[in-house]
Amino acid sequence: MNKEFAKPEEYGLADLLCCAASREVQDNEIVFAGTGLPMVAIMLAQKTHAPNLKLIFEAGTLDGRPPEIPTSVGDARCEMGASRSSGLHDAFSIAQRGYVDLGFLGGAEVDQYGNVNTTCIGDYLSPELRLTGSGGNPDINSFAKRTVFIMVHEKRRFTEQVSYITSPGWRVRNWPGGETVHRRELYGAAYRGGPSAVISTLGVFRFDEESGRIYLDTCHAGNTPEQIRDMCQFDLDISRVSGETLPPTREELHYIHEVLDPEQIFIPKVKPV
Amino acid sequence: MSSGKRITLQQAAEIVKNGSSLTFSGFTIWRRPFALVYELIRQRRKGLHLIEVNGGPQTEFLVGAGCVDIWESCWVGHELYGKYGANLSRKVGNKEILVEDYSHAEMLFRFSAAASGAPYAVTQTSLGTDIHNPAYDTLGNAGLRDGRRIPLHKYRFTEDPFFGAGAQVMVPAAKVDVAILCVQQVGEEGTVRVNGQFYSDPEVARAADVTIVMAEEIVPEEYLRRDSDLNTITSFEVDHILEVPFGAHPTGMFGRYDVDGAFLKDFYGRTRTQEGFDDFAKEWIHGLDHLGYLEKLGWPKMLNLKANTALKYSTGVKRGQ
Repeated sequence: MNKEFAKPEEYGLADLLCCAASREVQDNEIVFAGTGLPMVAIMLAQKTHAPNLKLIFEAGTLDGRPPEIPTSVGDARCEMGASRSSGLHDAFSIAQRGYVDLGFLGGAEVDQYGNVNTTCIGDYLSPELRLTGSGGNPDINSFAKRTVFIMVHEKRRFTEQVSYITSPGWRVRNWPGGETVHRRELYGAAYRGGPSAVISTLGVFRFDEESGRIYLDTCHAGNTPEQIRDMCQFDLDISRVSGETLPPTREELHYIHEVLDPEQIFIPKVKPV
Repeated sequence: MSSGKRITLQQAAEIVKNGSSLTFSGFTIWRRPFALVYELIRQRRKGLHLIEVNGGPQTEFLVGAGCVDIWESCWVGHELYGKYGANLSRKVGNKEILVEDYSHAEMLFRFSAAASGAPYAVTQTSLGTDIHNPAYDTLGNAGLRDGRRIPLHKYRFTEDPFFGAGAQVMVPAAKVDVAILCVQQVGEEGTVRVNGQFYSDPEVARAADVTIVMAEEIVPEEYLRRDSDLNTITSFEVDHILEVPFGAHPTGMFGRYDVDGAFLKDFYGRTRTQEGFDDFAKEWIHGLDHLGYLEKLGWPKMLNLKANTALKYSTGVKRGQ
């Protein structure tokens, strides 16, 4: 299969995000999958560099190998080929027990410590906009060794402090007082790690585990570190940039569009010019 | 042997009183008891307290219709077909509903506790988040924590007293009056066989005081008992049964029919305003019964959604762009 990098006109932003996400997966890992682009990314990893990864769907499918991409984790397509079709008690118990290496998540807002908000915009008690709520976001983020967030990059979404911490980052609140502490201090024996990357529509960000602060790792083609820093409300660390985000390979594009998502449910095809 | 558990849709809806607490089978847009949700809306039930492991279109319909005063859960939306719960969001903005937020695992563990007769569950999830912000205790702020149906506290912290593993959060058992399930098969005596992922159905059925099971088909009890290892819920955990084919529409039913994405998208698009919701309800709920609803949907639509019996999902539904 052709592992050459594709040319810029051969792929779209969704392809780039999907491939960047896929490369976060290592072989033999147990991965918790959410609905949407992450599901394509994980199944792409399964087809390429991580054939032995184990897939858990939050609704209760364990070690899934769906022959077709499910449109949600409750989808009938999850079951076929799985080790077990079960329920949420199994999925969350397995996660709390410490089996899960990696989870993919999303969010409306993220802050410099990787705290994520999916609950509401503005004051919780009088919100400007009520969103979906937490779902399993805080659970996966509490239980998994690493989590990767995939987000649309807008300045208002990359905040100094999220208006509501739905999902715990590296520096969180110690209730009932609410003082900010490193998550290691709160989670005790259950501490296994935390957010490891944010893949936005502009670049890939990582976290310093000690300070808990986010930094820019790679820029997607066409963006400079300074431009990306300007798109954050906090002072983004751009001193550790390692280069440009690697583009998709032709092999990856083949799997995404011909095998995994030919119906373009999550990833549109780039129209030939 | 018939157990006399059979009731009608109208009778099932009457079991849910104004002010009842209520929960459902299913997961987001799968196996939600819609025929009964519609009937509750037709009967104009008020003051419901929904306690759900996760929400979905059923939440949005009941909330939009003004049936719900309190929603206790973690998520609401229509997955791919509507990114958030626009009706809930509108009512939160207008302060017409109380929302108590927990995490998904917390909600699940709360039902597991109730299902095993324990007063609470203990977990390490969501520590450090605003879910545990004491100022955000909605039911407490509203003065509703009576220690009977509504627990005295939203949560409590403790330290592991046995192994010194550190901070833990205790979350109260989810005590509910009625659970309504929507499944593939139920026997005359109440034995339930769920095909595919059973989500949190066993927990919610056992946690509720009254459990109503709406099935695609009621089958002879002895048929289910021939392979009891395939069954999901015990006969005596189920109080009432009813047969309602396509009763989960517009949500999906593993092995029987897919989610009607176009219907959900239409609902999401049209019900951003109260006028929009009322208009939708007039078209699809009021003045219809279940058969009238199916007739309105029509054979071509239902055949398109029908699952392939080998694959367990429909091959006819157009899913992408």
